[in-house]
Amino acid sequence: MTRYILRRLLQAIPLLLIISAILFLLMEEMGDPLATFGGRRVLRSEDRARLTRQLGLDKPLWMQYVIWLAGNDWMRMDLDGDSIAESRGTRKGALRGDFGTSFVTRRPVSEMIIERLPNTLLLMGTAEVVILMFALLIGITSALKRYSLYDHTITAFSFIGYSMPIPLLALGLMYLFAVNFKRWGLPYFPTVGVFDPAVGRTAPQIIWHMVLPVAALSTISVAAYSRYIRASMLEVINQEYIRTARAKGLQERMILLRHALKNAALPLVTLVGLDLPLLLGGAIVTEGIFAWPGMGRLFIDHTTRSDFPVLMGILMMISVAVVVFQLITDITYTFLDPRIRYE
Amino acid sequence: MNTAKKTWCWVSVVAVLALALASCARATPPAPPTPTPVPLTPIPAKPRVVTITFTQEPDNLNPLYTNMWFVLTLRDLYLANGLLAYNDKNEPIPWIAKEIPSVENGGISADGKTITFKLRDNVQWSDGTPLTADDYVFTWQMIMDDKNTVVSRDPFDVAVEKVEAQDAHTLAVTFKEPYAPWQAKIFSNVDSTNALPKHILEPVFQKDSTLDNAEWNRKPTVGVGPFLFKGWESGSHLIFEANPNFWLGKPKVDQIFIRIVPDDAAQVAAIKAGDTDIGVFISYADVPDLQKLGTLDLPLVPSGYKESWFFNLSTREDKTKGHPALQDPKVRQAIVMAVDRNKICQDLLYGLTKPAVTFWDGMPYANPDIQPIPYDPEGAKKLLDEAGWKIGTDGIREKDGIKLKLRYATTPREVRKNTQVIVQQMWKEVGIDSELITHSPDIFWNSYGDNGPIATGQYDVAQWSTNPSFPDPDTAQWLCKEIPSDENPPGGNWQFFCDEELDGLFVKETATVDTQARIQLFYQIAKIISDQVYWVSIWDDPDLWSVSKKLKNVHFSGATPFWNAYEWEKTE
Repeated sequence: MTRYILRRLLQAIPLLLIISAILFLLMEEMGDPLATFGGRRVLRSEDRARLTRQLGLDKPLWMQYVIWLAGNDWMRMDLDGDSIAESRGTRKGALRGDFGTSFVTRRPVSEMIIERLPNTLLLMGTAEVVILMFALLIGITSALKRYSLYDHTITAFSFIGYSMPIPLLALGLMYLFAVNFKRWGLPYFPTVGVFDPAVGRTAPQIIWHMVLPVAALSTISVAAYSRYIRASMLEVINQEYIRTARAKGLQERMILLRHALKNAALPLVTLVGLDLPLLLGGAIVTEGIFAWPGMGRLFIDHTTRSDFPVLMGILMMISVAVVVFQLITDITYTFLDPRIRYE
Repeated sequence: MNTAKKTWCWVSVVAVLALALASCARATPPAPPTPTPVPLTPIPAKPRVVTITFTQEPDNLNPLYTNMWFVLTLRDLYLANGLLAYNDKNEPIPWIAKEIPSVENGGISADGKTITFKLRDNVQWSDGTPLTADDYVFTWQMIMDDKNTVVSRDPFDVAVEKVEAQDAHTLAVTFKEPYAPWQAKIFSNVDSTNALPKHILEPVFQKDSTLDNAEWNRKPTVGVGPFLFKGWESGSHLIFEANPNFWLGKPKVDQIFIRIVPDDAAQVAAIKAGDTDIGVFISYADVPDLQKLGTLDLPLVPSGYKESWFFNLSTREDKTKGHPALQDPKVRQAIVMAVDRNKICQDLLYGLTKPAVTFWDGMPYANPDIQPIPYDPEGAKKLLDEAGWKIGTDGIREKDGIKLKLRYATTPREVRKNTQVIVQQMWKEVGIDSELITHSPDIFWNSYGDNGPIATGQYDVAQWSTNPSFPDPDTAQWLCKEIPSDENPPGGNWQFFCDEELDGLFVKETATVDTQARIQLFYQIAKIISDQVYWVSIWDDPDLWSVSKKLKNVHFSGATPFWNAYEWEKTE
């Protein structure tokens, strides 16, 4: 097993290098980071020429990639535009853990990502917990009561939930529970943000502000997950070993949780293993609407400004997470199903 | 056990199990130990907080490193040390300078090249250090230093010879040539050139040999303004607290809380719910709804912006070439006459605005004698016939085998796309065909060197919103030397047009320090632009704000919106 994990990790290195090269190539198509430097005006041509040089955007793409990867502290740069490279660079490059600085904020990319990560994990982690709770509950009960009124109702709502566009859902929740409930004099939720500035950043405030975004994030996924659980549960509970377990006189609870669910959980683990690394990327739409300061917002803000050091940082972090979570998923299989072995 | 009870029993078990499973799943990513990832920000018991929503997050709070409107607006809170400020009528008023320099008070030298500012001697940085002329000199040095990747050196690189501190409170700026736009562009509260705190940033520059990474850029805790920077949580909010030692007296509200709400619809919801006091860049479509609430003022603040049409007048035999019909001023006039711009304003913009007549409307530089081009489809047809563009068999005009089909490009904003569709129909009525093109803003604004679709002339008519160097009337976008080419890829004259007479007037205007004489020059400029139909406004594009009626004394200026934040009051 240890050898297997080591091998997988070693394989990841060339994979990540290839991913980074492809991503960097795609960044070139993003547009010009200087395009938005003029604010509401077009940037003056003198400034555009100077910044192109100072920020190293005049270099060929492969050179920019080498600098991104290996830094430029081993070469000299031309800052004053006299075509003589006189100043030593200061960047260390991604291989040495320096993901560069944002063109827009001039701050280190890793710092910008790290300060958003807790917010995203808080929101997305909570949403994932809620999703799994409700999906298991709904999926298992509707599998057990297949074709009952309960199952049909749940099925109907699942399809409505699954086909709901998230911006509509998020804004709908906001208008109903924040704007209209307040108008009608009912207890209401806040519209946007993380806390009320008049109260301050307290835990109850944050939880209160999380309710609507978590509800918006969960609805669609609960609908999807519960369908998977229902299907795999149905497959399992009609199998012979379940009948055998019943014949042995085991308690129904034991049968369901120890015997049925463990086998039915395999597809769920695959699903969750694919979803978890993407959680790090945050939720672009939901974070935007509820003004939640997460990674999705960071990504979209810097996409609109073609700030590719930040985008590279976020995408590489997600790439690493995908590789790691795939490995974790594969290892989890061996615990759930002893027939699976890696050598 | 009856069935119901049994079901209930194991449902609860499943719930517990789900929780357990879920917490396993959650434990896999490094979940934060407490729900509060950042330490508590201490806030006084019942502060009078003004909450403002911004739809974009500031990038950098050092004005040298940003041109972002939101930062330049915030700067009136925490930095606010421009020599001149602009009031709600967009008139310059003395700010850190005791008076506006003029020839009469000796502030402007006889040759017009040196301007001397007398600074107030009672203004201090928030750490107690006096604000002196040295701070301004230091700022100029930092703008010009090659090691700083400042966003713009305008106008210090092209116009300024030197900046000198004659004594602690006398600042002299010497220009290479007399420089007309100095009021707005030299250390004013308008452009990106306030004074930086030399005593804080000079040691940083000496140590790092650049200001690019200075902590002050993100945490400008030392400032001069009515409010002081207290905190910025990325993506969430910025906090500014009243400066008790502000030189015009302590502000009347305790805190300004800027919340970043990127989604326009969510901002409107927050305004409706009363969760924010001030919102900006409200869509006109939301005005009827917001007015009904009765709790808001919705001021339209002119900021010089005009939604405009630009014609591609390139005759170069390369990719930039525009439609040959556009070379004829009669055709350009007909293109405009065919469109009922007032109806567009009425239908798409709720009648809240109307077409501007000159590029300088709403400023003293606007020529009052210029008549708007009327909506006259019959007249348009006549002009096109005269110009030799006759209706072809397919109903589209043509001349010498070339169809009158225009590439009409803009950005994918809803109102712009709707305008495109309406205009396409109106053009069709007079026999002009069109192809509608949209490019997302990051592509649209790309330079010639980066193959930007507009900068490389991949259009015939383009629509976007722009302004002069508001509140200064100057603009560089019609200068001949700004035409982009392989030799001049960053050029900003994306119409590829050069009118010698106009060019001469622009050059003359920038060197005319006397305001009245300068106004006359702009009258002539606007006349040429109007006669030749080089530029046309579709609508005047003021900034739409929403302000809670709980706030008093909020008087936005288009140039420096928060200039009087120290006078704002909030009632409950």
